[in-house]
Amino acid sequence: MATVSFKGTTRYYAGVDRPAVDRLDLEVADGEFLVLVGPSGCGKSTTLRMLAGLEGVDEGQLWIGDRDATNLPPKDRDIAMVFQNYALYPHMTVAENIGFHLKIQKMPKAERTERVLAAAKLLDLEKYLDRKPAKLSGGQRQRVAMGRAIVRRPQVFCMDEPLSNLDAKLRVQTRTQIASLQRELGVTTIYVTHDQVEAMTMGDRVAVLKDGQLQQCDTPVGLFARPANVFVAGFIGSPAMNLLPAKMTAEGASFGGIEVGITPAQRRALTTGEAVLGVRPEGWLITDQGVPATVDVVEELGSDQYLYCTVEGHPELITVRTQGLSKRQRGDLIHLRPQQDALHVFDAATGVRVAE
Amino acid sequence: MSTVELRRPPRRPKPAPGSKRFSPLRAVGLTVVGLFTAFNLLVLYWLVAASFKTPVEIFTDPFGLPKHWFALGKPFRNFAYAWEQAGFGHAFLVTVLLVAACAVAIVLISAPAAYALTRLGVRGANGLTNVIAIGMGVPFQTVVIPLFVGLAKIHLTNSLFGLFLVYVALSIPFTVFLLTGFFRSLPDELEEAAAIDGASPVRTFFSIMLPLARGGLITGLILNAIGLWNETLLSIVFLQDNAQFTLARALFTFYGAASYQSEYGGLIAGVAIVVLPMLVLYIVLARRIITGLTLGAGK
Repeated sequence: MATVSFKGTTRYYAGVDRPAVDRLDLEVADGEFLVLVGPSGCGKSTTLRMLAGLEGVDEGQLWIGDRDATNLPPKDRDIAMVFQNYALYPHMTVAENIGFHLKIQKMPKAERTERVLAAAKLLDLEKYLDRKPAKLSGGQRQRVAMGRAIVRRPQVFCMDEPLSNLDAKLRVQTRTQIASLQRELGVTTIYVTHDQVEAMTMGDRVAVLKDGQLQQCDTPVGLFARPANVFVAGFIGSPAMNLLPAKMTAEGASFGGIEVGITPAQRRALTTGEAVLGVRPEGWLITDQGVPATVDVVEELGSDQYLYCTVEGHPELITVRTQGLSKRQRGDLIHLRPQQDALHVFDAATGVRVAE
Repeated sequence: MSTVELRRPPRRPKPAPGSKRFSPLRAVGLTVVGLFTAFNLLVLYWLVAASFKTPVEIFTDPFGLPKHWFALGKPFRNFAYAWEQAGFGHAFLVTVLLVAACAVAIVLISAPAAYALTRLGVRGANGLTNVIAIGMGVPFQTVVIPLFVGLAKIHLTNSLFGLFLVYVALSIPFTVFLLTGFFRSLPDELEEAAAIDGASPVRTFFSIMLPLARGGLITGLILNAIGLWNETLLSIVFLQDNAQFTLARALFTFYGAASYQSEYGGLIAGVAIVVLPMLVLYIVLARRIITGLTLGAGK
């Protein structure tokens, strides 16, 4: 068990001027489950691989517990990793795969067998200990990869999109299994994913990366309720938050012919006369007076209904969540008004959130 | 009233539309392959049939079945003659040992070399791989004389050990090249997983990569064994002593003696003794060899 600290950690790739990870400062508490999330190419896997020792650190430092691990080889870091494609050794049985690290550590055979069996029991793999990975299903392989990590009782787990090769149903199941297993073991875990649902449901805290830079690191609720900038606002939440350019007026901010109120503090914080208003799909009121919008697509989920509407002068469709099974149709005209407490305000020039 | 619907699956499922069943190119290809195969089968038949014939039968009835020695009740007379006259018994043993030792040594040297060239990220590895590949392009016939002179200076001519060195050296480029393809096809994550599990590079090579490249190693062994088994020119140049003759070398000597005595039946039986074991080996292992050669090419 240990903390993990990235201190200005930077990684360049050969031939690319822009760093893949740019001066990352991140503290992970002991026993915490931290999720790194972001679009592809944002540097989340590189961050994880630096922690695992599979990539060098060009600038800055990397600490695991009270040790500077910046230049330690992977074997001295006491970390375990679960790879996206599991990277099981194809010629070894499940038991040999799980016990490979212990064997290298020259652990006595009896103790090794016991540890492997305990891990297998935890993951419901006892029946498959003598099988080769090729004879296992995707979910079983994933569990073997987990077994290989937990049998070591390491300081830190590194998980690189471990669920992306599973089908949708199994992914949801395994998601909760991994999260509860981590809580049970209490091992500090860094988990990389591009799936924001995984990020929101699994992590104690979620770090959002873009272009190698940390955008925000907060609890799932914090990210959702107070996104630090336009990128995080659009990335977290599904369907995505509506981002609407607005002009400052005497009373507030105007969008689509209506005025919404903003606080004096927000007004002062804005650097220009323009703002970006963020409204989540569930943050709209359908009223008599509001922005006129034409329903373009109706997405019926049964429990909810999403209306994708066109608003004059706004190039993107606006998403509105309403009650499921309502009778709205394509072509209907509705009037929208954001709920005041669901309004997020961002600076149009910098994209940064302005506080209430 | 209900009727049971009888559905009969088509005898041959329909091909995808647009993929024509018959094309001129396909016809030409099939003809060429067919003729080539037929010709080779004919040669093989002639070889086997002739090895049971008397010289008279060979020349008067080249494609008929052997009769004379069968009628006398000594069908294997030619083989017995060749075996005794050519000293094949001893040569067989020498060849098996030499070829086995060479094939193993070649793979033992080439596998770590190929691993280092493809996997360790050594600076200049690509250039080095190309240099080794160029080695495949040098016909060994052109270096026979310098090789002989060189080995003579260190007194390794007329020595099986000297020939062993020559065989191993000349076979390394091809084998390294073959194995680089294998190692390159293995996923990077396995090495990374091994590194995180705490395995040293040497350990990773022996416990992870080598077992996974087993198919390639076996292909390398087989191809080298077949090639060296049939190798004649170098054995003629480097071996002068009867006691050290390999099969091909013994056959060459026997060729002189047998044709002088017009013992063509015995001579062909000698050829059969040299050729057939490798043919059988190839037939048994053909699938393994072909998958071995093409693996690493795909994905």
